[in-house]
Amino acid sequence: MATTATLLAAARPSGAQDSEQGFPATGPLSGYMDFHFNKADGEDPVLDFHRFVLLLNHSFSSRLRFVGELELEHAFVEGLETGGEVELEQAYVDFLLSRRLNVRAGMLLMPVGIINERHEPPVFNGVERPFVDTVIVPSTWFDVGAGVHGELGAGWRYRAYVAAPLNALEFTAEEGIRGGRQKGSRANVRNIAYTARAEYRGLRALTLGASVWTGDSSFAAPRLDTGVTIGEFDARFRRDRLELRWQFAEVGIADAARLNDVLERSTGVSPNIARRMRGFYGEAAYRVWNAGAPRDLVAFLRYENFDTQFRMPDGFVPLKEFDRDAWVTGITYYPDPDVAVKADVVYLRNQSGLFPNRHLFNLGLGWWF
Amino acid sequence: MTARVTFAAVLLVLLVSAPGAAPAQGPVPRVIEVSAERFEFWPSEILVAPGEEVELRIRSDDTMHGFRIVGAGTNLLIPKRGRGYAVTRFTGGAPGRYTFECSRMCGAGHNFMRGVLVVRRAGDAR
Repeated sequence: MATTATLLAAARPSGAQDSEQGFPATGPLSGYMDFHFNKADGEDPVLDFHRFVLLLNHSFSSRLRFVGELELEHAFVEGLETGGEVELEQAYVDFLLSRRLNVRAGMLLMPVGIINERHEPPVFNGVERPFVDTVIVPSTWFDVGAGVHGELGAGWRYRAYVAAPLNALEFTAEEGIRGGRQKGSRANVRNIAYTARAEYRGLRALTLGASVWTGDSSFAAPRLDTGVTIGEFDARFRRDRLELRWQFAEVGIADAARLNDVLERSTGVSPNIARRMRGFYGEAAYRVWNAGAPRDLVAFLRYENFDTQFRMPDGFVPLKEFDRDAWVTGITYYPDPDVAVKADVVYLRNQSGLFPNRHLFNLGLGWWF
Repeated sequence: MTARVTFAAVLLVLLVSAPGAAPAQGPVPRVIEVSAERFEFWPSEILVAPGEEVELRIRSDDTMHGFRIVGAGTNLLIPKRGRGYAVTRFTGGAPGRYTFECSRMCGAGHNFMRGVLVVRRAGDAR
């Protein structure tokens, strides 16, 4: 039986919107953790403390706020990412000016896709994040920059930032643009990237989103002109026990033939980078046990299709092992609304006849506090 | 005679103390159901007439959130999903826009989680 928190407070505003009662204030330490067991066909099982993330926040005043997010990945840092990574995923100051217009500067999450800005473990189904949100949209995608965000009314809200661009010399055939993230580490900003997202939440059960990111990403090779553009659309629908998610993302890389040529000259091997990459997924989830934690269980099924060799530059042949799709199905059990116990199986296929398809079994324990 | 007076007095006391004889209450406030989830309130814009009292019942669909009306002294905790809801009342004062926001860190997009109570007469220009 749910309880009702009757916290009555008669709020009778007198126009005192600038009251600074309670500020400055440092919020309590928050964070999330992700602990995984992964087993793939023909491979030894792996236990991995995948993410240990702490969030810090401080309000200098009601209008001036800091948020920071520090992440340790894979539990151990050995240098050069061979063991793990320490990442400063967010560290920004918000200047909250009005509902319509606010200014943000620092280390920002790129506002692209469903997962990149909503990646706490209890928020998504599946032990690992969707492949599309890893390979096509390289979440967690963060970099230094500044911009504006706000709500326009009638359910519309937006963010628009300028940020450090990607480094095209780090793109690969398998993981697409993922390796190109500068992560705010002495980021080269000779060129600037632009990114924006619009969301519509005018209907109770439905959220629609569209994102774009564009920037010249060839600063490391001056004779190149590698413009990268990412377009993305997504939808989330939740009503009663049912939740549906859908996302589509496509990456365009200009001058990909010359990019391959430059990289081949420096490494001796053509990286076979595509001029277009594409991915989409659809997920249906149903809350089969809906009595409130600890009697709270969700079952889900997701189909993903992602191809980092979708369209090749003239003269390049696509590597079909990177034209992939996946069926992911499993359950998420909530002993508490902030604790997610997950289990799933993944059937990961590719279009090459040379590389076997993969079956994976994953268990996960994730929590937010 | 004495018995009649005593009976009448007891009857009067019972009538006065009966629930239905309580002093008349003010008008019942309009109830508005608000949902909170990472990282938005729905609805995020609530229209209130000047002088109108509304009762906000705020229910979370995921973690514990906060509900602060900036500058109005209201700051509540919204229980986690499935654990009830928080209630507060708001009386429209001077026409204007009164920001409300999540006051408990709830994730990467916490600072996006804001809304507004708009106090104006129905039909007035926005």
